[in-house]
Amino acid sequence: MRLVRRPTSFDTPGRGAYGRMSEALRNAVSLVGYLLPAAAALVVVAVGWEVWTRAADIRPYLVPRPSVVLDRLLGDVGFFASHGATTLLEATAGFALGTLVALAGATAMAHSRLMERALFPVAVLVKVTPLVAYAPLFVIWFGFGSMPKVLVAALITFFPVLVNAMIGFRSVNPETLDLLRSLRASNREIFLKLRVPSSLPYLFAAFRISIPLSVIGATVGEYFGGGDRGLGSVIVVAHYDLDMPTLFSAGLTLAMIGIGLTILTAYAERRVLFWHDSSIVT
Amino acid sequence: MADESHVEVRGLRQVFSSGRQTLAALDRVDLSIDKGSFVSIVGPSGGGKTTLLRAIGGLLSPTAGSVLIDGRPPASAQRRKSIGFVFQGPALLPWRTVISNIQLPLQVNRGASDDRAEDPERLLDTVALERFRDYYPHQLSGGMRQRVALARALVLRPDLLLMDEPLGGLDEITRGAMRYELLRLWELSRPTVIFVTHSIGEAVMLSDRVVVLSSQPGRVLRHMKMDLPRPRTEEMEFSDDFLSLVRELRRTLEIDRSAAPSSQGPDIRP
Repeated sequence: MRLVRRPTSFDTPGRGAYGRMSEALRNAVSLVGYLLPAAAALVVVAVGWEVWTRAADIRPYLVPRPSVVLDRLLGDVGFFASHGATTLLEATAGFALGTLVALAGATAMAHSRLMERALFPVAVLVKVTPLVAYAPLFVIWFGFGSMPKVLVAALITFFPVLVNAMIGFRSVNPETLDLLRSLRASNREIFLKLRVPSSLPYLFAAFRISIPLSVIGATVGEYFGGGDRGLGSVIVVAHYDLDMPTLFSAGLTLAMIGIGLTILTAYAERRVLFWHDSSIVT
Repeated sequence: MADESHVEVRGLRQVFSSGRQTLAALDRVDLSIDKGSFVSIVGPSGGGKTTLLRAIGGLLSPTAGSVLIDGRPPASAQRRKSIGFVFQGPALLPWRTVISNIQLPLQVNRGASDDRAEDPERLLDTVALERFRDYYPHQLSGGMRQRVALARALVLRPDLLLMDEPLGGLDEITRGAMRYELLRLWELSRPTVIFVTHSIGEAVMLSDRVVVLSSQPGRVLRHMKMDLPRPRTEEMEFSDDFLSLVRELRRTLEIDRSAAPSSQGPDIRP
């Protein structure tokens, strides 16, 4: 698939200052546009919370003040960043693995009904088994390193991608399919030229769900994993110590990772799916 | 114009079944279409026009009877990539530019020789879209998209062009202009055209012959020769010859409708 920037009205010269803006600047402006509403909502919640904890005199080991949490977070940025990086890495690796396996599975199922009947029930089995049931298992099998965390993240991302890829591969324009068949295009050609690109909107819908899920998967993996790396294990320790500021800071770091990934996904989606109804603004 | 037969349909029967229900879309259809002629198929909706076109194009295997293109089954023409298809929707790939959509037929089934292929860039000029070479389908109007679809169908210089209501999705003004655009393109290489349409006027204006199909099951009610001089022009739409042909065709269709009141069935498209 080629990614060619679509010509816009901005490309016409002499359209005022906005028309002369460089593409990088324009992208930065649109990124800020993405961030701003979310950031504003966050600030509103934080301020309300601070006022409430102060006014009602809530005990700090139950609900800490945002100012205290922020103090903890900013006071030890390196600590949270390094554990956050571990979690992010595990989540990313898990997402990549889960997506790869899901795409391979969906491709096999798209080509053979037998494969679909054999594999899909297994996929459903994986899906309906609660995360906390297999997370400890992976620890027993794979020890305290990153491996079990990556696997939990992979398992949790696997199913949405699988189902959407299956639907996506089938959601082709029947007339375009007729056209390719009338030219004796091979199944491989039909798959690569029609089915795969047609599935992209469905895949991105799955990514929106599974990318945040992968962070949850990695965190849960760490929580049960008994290791000492990652925000999941930070949460375990802070929980035992009733160290609320650390607990909340870890949660906040996870949320920021989630927000960052979601923005990245939305941005990639806009670039890749420029041709799709969902991103065509009229 | 050569009078040798290009497409032969003999005793074609097409039955669809889903569960216990069966539906005969076509029954005992016989057709013989001359090389280089422009033939329209008209009939009530749900009358199996699309089914007939798909069977001729080799996209359906007949329940009974046969379709022959140059004396051979459609699969042989498919292998040579000598069939062009245009549908009611443009059916373009939305992630490809105009030029890349036109090139699509050249990029699949590369085993077939493409030595007759038209230069896509020149074809772009022919359909007057050279300025829109690198645009994407969503940036074009409906009429422009359909011209891209037409160019895509013509890129392999097909002997046989199958069109399923190609102007059906367009507004009346664009549609009127596209008719003559279509004729102009056809005159350039004169492939055999089989053209499915709802529009009686369109069938008369474009065709050498019109085949009237009945509904459920679709049978050939009548063949009509359209004796109008070529090239056809917009002014002819007011000529007596044109109007009397339109009247006659309409009467034929009305007789069928009064004979079979339940003819407004759903469109059959498996």
